Amino acid sequence: MNFRIIRALVAKDLSLFFRNRFYALVTALGIVTYITIYLVMPGSVDEKLEIGLYAPVVPPVLEQLPEEGVEIQAVESEEALIEAVIEGQYAAGMALPADIMDKFASGQKPQITLYFHADAPEEVKDAVEFLIRELAYLQTGQPLAIETSVEILGRDMLGEQIPPRDRMRPLLALALIMFETMGLASLISEEVEQGTAEALLVTPTRVGDLFAAKGLMGVGLAFAQAVFFMAIVGGVSSQPLIILTTLLLGAVLVTGAGFLIASLSKDMMSVMAWGAVVIIIFVIPAFGIMFPGTISGWVKVIPSYYLADTIHQAANFGAGWGDVWSNLLILLGFNLVIVWGGIMALRRKFE
Amino acid sequence: MSLKRVSVLLGKEFLHGPKNYIFIFAIVAPIIISLVVSLVFGTLFTEKPKLGIVDEGNSQLVAMSQELDSVITKEYSTVSDMRGAVEGGAVDMGIVLPQAFDDAVSRGEKVEIEAYIWGESLAKNRTILPVTIANLVRELGGQEVPVEIESVTLGDEVSAPWSDRLLPFIVLAAVFLGGLMLPATSIIDEKQKNTLEALVVTPTTIGDVFISKGLVGIILSLVMGTAILILNQAFGAQPLLLVGVLALGAIMAVEFGLLSGALIKDITTLFALWKFAGILLFAPGFVYMFPQIPEWVGQIFPTYYIVQPIVDISQRGGGWPEIAVNVFVLIGLNLVLAGIVVFVARKTMQH
Repeated sequence: MNFRIIRALVAKDLSLFFRNRFYALVTALGIVTYITIYLVMPGSVDEKLEIGLYAPVVPPVLEQLPEEGVEIQAVESEEALIEAVIEGQYAAGMALPADIMDKFASGQKPQITLYFHADAPEEVKDAVEFLIRELAYLQTGQPLAIETSVEILGRDMLGEQIPPRDRMRPLLALALIMFETMGLASLISEEVEQGTAEALLVTPTRVGDLFAAKGLMGVGLAFAQAVFFMAIVGGVSSQPLIILTTLLLGAVLVTGAGFLIASLSKDMMSVMAWGAVVIIIFVIPAFGIMFPGTISGWVKVIPSYYLADTIHQAANFGAGWGDVWSNLLILLGFNLVIVWGGIMALRRKFE
Repeated sequence: MSLKRVSVLLGKEFLHGPKNYIFIFAIVAPIIISLVVSLVFGTLFTEKPKLGIVDEGNSQLVAMSQELDSVITKEYSTVSDMRGAVEGGAVDMGIVLPQAFDDAVSRGEKVEIEAYIWGESLAKNRTILPVTIANLVRELGGQEVPVEIESVTLGDEVSAPWSDRLLPFIVLAAVFLGGLMLPATSIIDEKQKNTLEALVVTPTTIGDVFISKGLVGIILSLVMGTAILILNQAFGAQPLLLVGVLALGAIMAVEFGLLSGALIKDITTLFALWKFAGILLFAPGFVYMFPQIPEWVGQIFPTYYIVQPIVDISQRGGGWPEIAVNVFVLIGLNLVLAGIVVFVARKTMQH
């Protein structure tokens, strides 16, 4: 391998990239757009059910409410309660009659009025109604004859839930670098189509030099974009070294995929066709992170699972090397296979 | 412009178009997206708490829970299956109902049940689910509810389910994949193969070429937009008005496509543009998905004026008075874009 030639080829590709100001500009704008999407997504999780309460007399049972999931705030009048519900301040409003305790004591059924905004989902309406019923049972001395032994599975994230935008972070990072797959495949395909690859190979440049140059270019572009994006959205604030290593391995993965796509493609259109298939498959694991429990174990056969999962674990849970080493090792293994396969397939195409 | 030449070119486009990857992609992709959304995303985005149950006996509680609208209930055959589901986040909470559970409840005996809670489950779900289970158990035991609850709905807005929130995104995908990408790739392809140059040395003008390619895009875009609305049962009570808005949307998509085709030199650059501008075009779709994003954010983007009238007609039962302002803005934008396309086409002819 001739490093001078490789350096010259990378410099040529980079200068072509930046000479096309439009291409360079929209690539930058692409990153800005992904960052904007991240920033406009909800940055916090609404964990509690907030209920407004108007109660001339507050039943003692309300103090027994589990604090973690429901927050009851008292308001001064029923009118203020209605106003607050309409304004969306509370998920529901609860108005208790002044004689509620007397009625409970005399075995009568007091009437409780629940106010919901028309926008309130059915599950909230039912949940609040169930909650009131249960509180009424408890207030009237009818505890439930059930004893529950509870076990929390996985890390208990109560009070420190991951906001939707942070769940989306691996998907955005993955999508950003995955598009480089198409870019690289197009670049190689263009070289083959226009005969410049062939022309290069009659010079002292060897096939290996060409691959190394294209690979460096692909890895560099994908890695730089992903790192920049993650740095801006706070993705490297936790376990930066792990995140950087993972992104580097991810950049190598998409470069290998780019080689494979280029080897299968005859022109730009087939790059698009194969690229779309690869991108769709590769982003599936990131959807599994966004929507936990939707994808079963089979997702682990997709190489990008180890990329998305490691980013998710390290950036959102602060997972260390001890937690993610197996992911990184598997990702490295996939990289070796995919890059080797891509090089072999392209070499055959060149020859 | 010659109608005869345009019709000949149009015939050629329709003859060769279906062999084009983009043509197939523009037809297949929106249908797949729509099916995925209705089959999967309709339940993925739901905020309903999810309950897993392993019934070791034959409890009525399972069926009672499954009938509830406020909770998603999944039954598992083994405890290990359910534990796996809880650990993966497929359900927020899993309970094991022991044998003869119903008998014990109806006799008022104390029953012990095991419960597993997903560590990432929201606090409110951890409150809602036990309260729901408690209510079901009390119902099973025939306990009388000690309160009367009156629910009052306030305000006019009605919450939109996720399938409705995603509709604007799918419609935009249907309209823009065909409308924008088909003319753009077709023109770029002709430029790269020098067939455009060959065409314009005949009496055919650039205008004829642009109109024929634009018409193909408009027809495909309109057909796909209509098909997606029919597939999603969202054709509303004003089908003609809806088709009219879709046609205006298709014209906008095609104008963007023609501009891209005229200004962009190669498919690689088109990809790069699509990477960033595609997100800008679909931005109003995100605004509908997340009502937390203020509506004015959507109004910045030109495609808002396509989706808002469609949403008004198909989901809110609106008519001409409700959509008139947005439609006039859309027509205005189309006229401005048409002017730019004509200008760019003339420039292209000069080159």
